[in-house]
Amino acid sequence: MNAPDRFELFLLGDGEKKCSEAPDTRTANSSVFTFNKEDHTLANILRAHLLKNSHVIFAGYKIPHPLFATFELRVQTDGSLTPKEALVNTCRTLVGDLEILSREFTKEFELRKMVMGDAAATENK
Amino acid sequence: MDFDPMVMDAEPQGPSVKITDATPHSVDFTLQSVDLSFANSLRRTILAEVPTMAIDLVEIEANTSVLADEFITHRLGLIPLNSKNVDDVVYSRDCDCEQYCELCSVTLTLHARCTGDEIMRVYARDLVVDPLRQNQWVGNPVITDPEGLGTVICKLRKGQELRMKCIAKKGIAKEHAKWAPTSAVGFEYDPQNKLRHTDLWYEESAEKEWPKSKYADWEEPPQEGEPFDYDAVPETFYFEVESVGNLEPDAIIQQGIKVLQQKLAAVIRDLADGEGQTNGINGHGYDAPRSPEDVGMDGAWGQDQGYTTPFGNGNGTQEPQQPWGGSATPYGATPYGQQNGWANGR
Repeated sequence: MNAPDRFELFLLGDGEKKCSEAPDTRTANSSVFTFNKEDHTLANILRAHLLKNSHVIFAGYKIPHPLFATFELRVQTDGSLTPKEALVNTCRTLVGDLEILSREFTKEFELRKMVMGDAAATENK
Repeated sequence: MDFDPMVMDAEPQGPSVKITDATPHSVDFTLQSVDLSFANSLRRTILAEVPTMAIDLVEIEANTSVLADEFITHRLGLIPLNSKNVDDVVYSRDCDCEQYCELCSVTLTLHARCTGDEIMRVYARDLVVDPLRQNQWVGNPVITDPEGLGTVICKLRKGQELRMKCIAKKGIAKEHAKWAPTSAVGFEYDPQNKLRHTDLWYEESAEKEWPKSKYADWEEPPQEGEPFDYDAVPETFYFEVESVGNLEPDAIIQQGIKVLQQKLAAVIRDLADGEGQTNGINGHGYDAPRSPEDVGMDGAWGQDQGYTTPFGNGNGTQEPQQPWGGSATPYGATPYGQQNGWANGR
């Protein structure tokens, strides 16, 4: 009865931003990014790939409350780039990686289709 | 096998895929040169965020069957509908129309009446698809059985009738499982359990009592007395994607990749957008103390007053903020007077 609408898990509310940055004033070169309407899918991949950047000292995320579709990603860098730059770079690399994956998959799948021959190809229709 | 923080530099070629099996409704593949988080994110998007079509609204004109209206409605919702090129259809909530229109929905009508003495079954094939739709595939009930009947919706006795109009809309499985493109996504790595991510329970010997994965032969079994490699990370992922029939398996994966890319692009857009203004007003570093005016002027930061929770001023929910949350001090110490949420929360 009081259950929130399921679309609140992925639809941004009015005036809500997907991602906003707030500096973490306790330490230098660190920021906390708050993501709205996102979950582990995005959080974990960003966390893991930020850590691959040697200039990133810390990257971790938490979901402050399980009923709200937000997460907070804290990033600390060594100062040679800002946390925001690190995050944007990571996103860009990931988009590129996914693009490669997409191409690779198409290639492999087309190859497979040819190997499978006509029988399967007609079935595939 | 060594874990190297610069893995990204070491492998410029990026992820690689090997398809091991493909049928019209499933595809098995191996994903390599990616990390666990990447593979898992792909799995999660495929499961929950690939858009498909499903019946969402039902206008019931007559239902004299033994099943209640909502019962039949639910059954109708679960019928897989062809979702090929579903990108042509817009989400109803983004559409300009009042409630639904041919741009954002597909109408299916069902009219069945039992006239004979035999019990009649109503099948998915009895749904009549309105030709007013975005493309020729979208909204067709998925029928895979050799008789061409599709799923059973209801059984009718003599004189009973079903007459209804079903509106199929685009959606994602995060909202309701009826929009799921897959019935299952198999996901496996490290079949030899070399990384010991699973702890196999056993009475005498785990090797004897646990069946081997079909992928176990594809990887080197651990050597007798081999020391544990603490730096090892999973590298090969075995996916088994099984379609419900509404999308072809390769389309599901391509869509999954696309959805994930869009998520990342949204982040880039949001962050890169602010870049111009933020740098303009604010100079650079975040560590430098900023004057209240700065904070006020800068939209990006001003929006979020330090550590307010996005879900209303803290009561209990403040607690988990603590680990990072010394933030009350630098902010709450009121350069700009308003102690929102924080002070009250305590």
